[in-house]
Amino acid sequence: MEPILLRARGEENSRSISTYLKLGGYSAMKRALISSPADVIEEVKKSGLRGRGGAGFPTGVKWGFIPKDSPKPKYLICNADESEPGTFKDREIIHVDPHMLIEGMIIASYAIAANVAYIYIRGEFVREAQYLEQAIAEAYKKRYLGRNILKTGYDLDIYVHRGAGAYICGEETALLESLEGKRGLPRLKPPFPAVVGAFGCPTIVNNVETLACVPHIIERGADWFAGIGRPRNTGPKLFCVSGHVDRPGVYELPLGVTFREIIEEHCGGMRGGRKLKAFIPGGSSAPPLPAELVDTGADFDSVAAAGSMLGSGGLIVMDETVDMVWALENLMKFYAHESCGQCTPCREGSDWALDVLRRIRRGHGRPEDMETLLRIARFASQGMTICPLGDAFCGPIEGFIKHFGHEFEAAIAKASPLPAKKLPVLPVRSGRGAFGI
Amino acid sequence: MVTVTIDGNQVQVAEGTNLIEAAGKVGIEVPTYCYHPGLTVVGQCRICFVEVEGMPRLVTACSTPVRDGMVVLTASERVKEARAAVMEFLLENHPLDCPVCDQAGECYLQDYSVEHGLDTTHMVDERRTYPGFERRLIGPHVVQNQNRCIHCTRCIRFTEEIAETADLTMKSRGNHSYIDTYDGTPLVNPWSACVADVCPVGALTTKEFRFRARVWHLEDTDSVCPGCSIGCNIRIGHFKGVVYRFVPRANAEVNGWWMCDHGRFLAESLNAREIEQPAALRNGEPQPIGWQQAVAELANLLHANRNARVVASANLSNEALYLAKRVFVDQLGLELLVPVDAGEPRAIKNGRREWVSSIDAHPNSTGARLMGLPLGDAAALESFVKSSTGPVIVLDAHAHPWLDSESAAKALARQEIVVFARSRTALTQRATLLLPSASWIETAGTYTSSTGRVQLAERGLYPRAGARAQWEVLALLGAALGAGTDPAATPRALFETMAAEVPAFAGMTFRRLSVEPGIPVLEEVSNVG
Repeated sequence: MEPILLRARGEENSRSISTYLKLGGYSAMKRALISSPADVIEEVKKSGLRGRGGAGFPTGVKWGFIPKDSPKPKYLICNADESEPGTFKDREIIHVDPHMLIEGMIIASYAIAANVAYIYIRGEFVREAQYLEQAIAEAYKKRYLGRNILKTGYDLDIYVHRGAGAYICGEETALLESLEGKRGLPRLKPPFPAVVGAFGCPTIVNNVETLACVPHIIERGADWFAGIGRPRNTGPKLFCVSGHVDRPGVYELPLGVTFREIIEEHCGGMRGGRKLKAFIPGGSSAPPLPAELVDTGADFDSVAAAGSMLGSGGLIVMDETVDMVWALENLMKFYAHESCGQCTPCREGSDWALDVLRRIRRGHGRPEDMETLLRIARFASQGMTICPLGDAFCGPIEGFIKHFGHEFEAAIAKASPLPAKKLPVLPVRSGRGAFGI
Repeated sequence: MVTVTIDGNQVQVAEGTNLIEAAGKVGIEVPTYCYHPGLTVVGQCRICFVEVEGMPRLVTACSTPVRDGMVVLTASERVKEARAAVMEFLLENHPLDCPVCDQAGECYLQDYSVEHGLDTTHMVDERRTYPGFERRLIGPHVVQNQNRCIHCTRCIRFTEEIAETADLTMKSRGNHSYIDTYDGTPLVNPWSACVADVCPVGALTTKEFRFRARVWHLEDTDSVCPGCSIGCNIRIGHFKGVVYRFVPRANAEVNGWWMCDHGRFLAESLNAREIEQPAALRNGEPQPIGWQQAVAELANLLHANRNARVVASANLSNEALYLAKRVFVDQLGLELLVPVDAGEPRAIKNGRREWVSSIDAHPNSTGARLMGLPLGDAAALESFVKSSTGPVIVLDAHAHPWLDSESAAKALARQEIVVFARSRTALTQRATLLLPSASWIETAGTYTSSTGRVQLAERGLYPRAGARAQWEVLALLGAALGAGTDPAATPRALFETMAAEVPAFAGMTFRRLSVEPGIPVLEEVSNVG
């Protein structure tokens, strides 16, 4: 497949506006600004573009949720808080082609009638934030941003807002709270951000990759875009492959390509010729799939049917040497650390699960531990929590135990009981005893 | 109005009502931790799950408004399972130190654990602790034990939304987050102890009440705060004749769910009792006498001196003030003054989150004014006393701070004085007649607040030793002086006579006062805003 989102990879000065213009950039924006916002939304709807942040919600439909008659200002927010372990595609886009994101944001803002847009970028992305600032400055100079863009009468300002390093701020309502200067805690929904979002106004939050797709849809048409991939799972997708493959990295492939193809053809197979044991298809929140399912298509619906999710497209490959109890403990460390602590099941459950896994790994597992883990997973997911972070750590627990339960059983079978805790011996007081007797 | 069905009970509620309030209307208690009717809804404790027909997932009752035709199940198997799971999560790190926890007995973790929890836990690992945060004084009144905290953030929301001081905040993240004062400065605001009320567990308790009594021993008496003119509704907790605490009682019209620290910590002062017997000055020495003799001597004194003056008190109930007016003003034609001390300004938020402010430091100055009694400040009181030529009758030695001053003692050095008091003051030493008066909890009475509401404070204790409430003495005195008062009157009977006579109280009855959240007198009296 010809590269679309990463077409500038390898170009000299790929981040500069001149390179972007040379490759035909900003022409989609010009086309969009002379058509009506409704047409732009319609085109994106027709393309079948689904959100690339993880949930896979149809982007055009989301834009359509913005109330038309609201007198309040509207906001577009680009979610560049890429914090999902195993995911590094948004960073690649910003590294290679920040103008593609900016053009996508201009078109999206125009479609939803927003005059202010924010890029909420993860705090650790220091260089990336600088690249974006540079690109935005270039776009202002060319009058692609600011007052009266290209004399069409449309105004748009884009601001880069750096996060402070919390995974939870990638959740869209926590992101909004953080953007507003508050503690990044997810909000109760409804109301959804499209109605009450940033600063109480209608807001659309889109992922970097989603927005980067938009100029191409406008430029080359919805039908062209829908022709890539599979029905209901259209377009190119960036897959971030990490783990035990020969050539980890970001690969742009059409949705629906099999995981076997990604691993074997594009990544050069397993590192050291070892056997594939499991892969996590969509960032650490996705339940792992065993090697037998490697022929599953990498698209939203096929992965969901296989019992996991495509999520962000962060493919983590694990070979036969991986201890799955360790892997789950490692993941749980992340979630226990990143749970915001707002709602009970996630706050208590994530840490509890970590305690149990740690104990199993230290050789003190108990026969009832797997049941406990599954109980935590059952009651900290499926709407028991305010935001999907509950599901994000419960899915992996269920998936690891479903596919690799025997490893947990083996670890528990080998275990010795936890040594009884030594209680401190209290000194006996002379003179009056207890209770003054 | 919309109609919802909750566990088979149909109920009509206003639009926008949440499912907790709607269920409450049909007597179904949905368990809650983070939800508080006076604070914003955050939906984070997850204990209030209910099942709504047609919704695939359980919903939190606190954050779900009613819709017409909604069918809600609050006790289905799914709901029970989910609640048991949330209880288990909450107790997973809770120290379970109930035997040494002050909240035990009024702890929602205990109650809901019995009602909704599992009888055991799957937890075998070490519990989370916050070393150094087990008993920490975070303000002048509040002690924090973070180990017990269930992270409901009620206290934080109280300081943000009600006190508007935002003293408390959540620090750190996830399972290790903890409540702390903002910037490490102490929790100092006029309502700080309310955070201990809103805390559903024993994480925040008040220094003053901590370890003083087990709450299941306490008897509760519904009362009104004597601290200022706002008249916050309170519950007085007492045991074996000792008053232990005041806690606010919800009244949306006056104090919402709150009360200020000044009022709350007056509780201890109700136990003060230094004067136990009526005493008359004989040859410069106070001699104990009986009440019959005391009333007779007072009657004689008033017979003999038609130039006596009466210092009444805005701390007295409507009934006592009514009798004072009837006996001293109407019957004897004496001059009477109700001294009023402006005191420190106090304020509280009512149930609609409007500020209600005090007009003075007395619970019943509005009642005195409505009764038609003359009110006066410190200067008026001083000249009233100094210009008197005959005996002065002080109906309450604690009516005004000036009465306890050197200057008052000097001004009254030559006159005969009759003093009603509980503790010794500058005047009690040389009172011709010293009469022990009942404390706030030792008499029932009605008080008219600056919010314009007549409210009932019930009696929780009998007067200790030989003390009598002023209305009781005044009724006896009135009978002795021929004012036609019933010597066996009760506050109820007195209130009803008064309601028939004083226009401001027309139509009110004691019975209504005991069930309604106070009865408003006049719109223009109210001091909201």
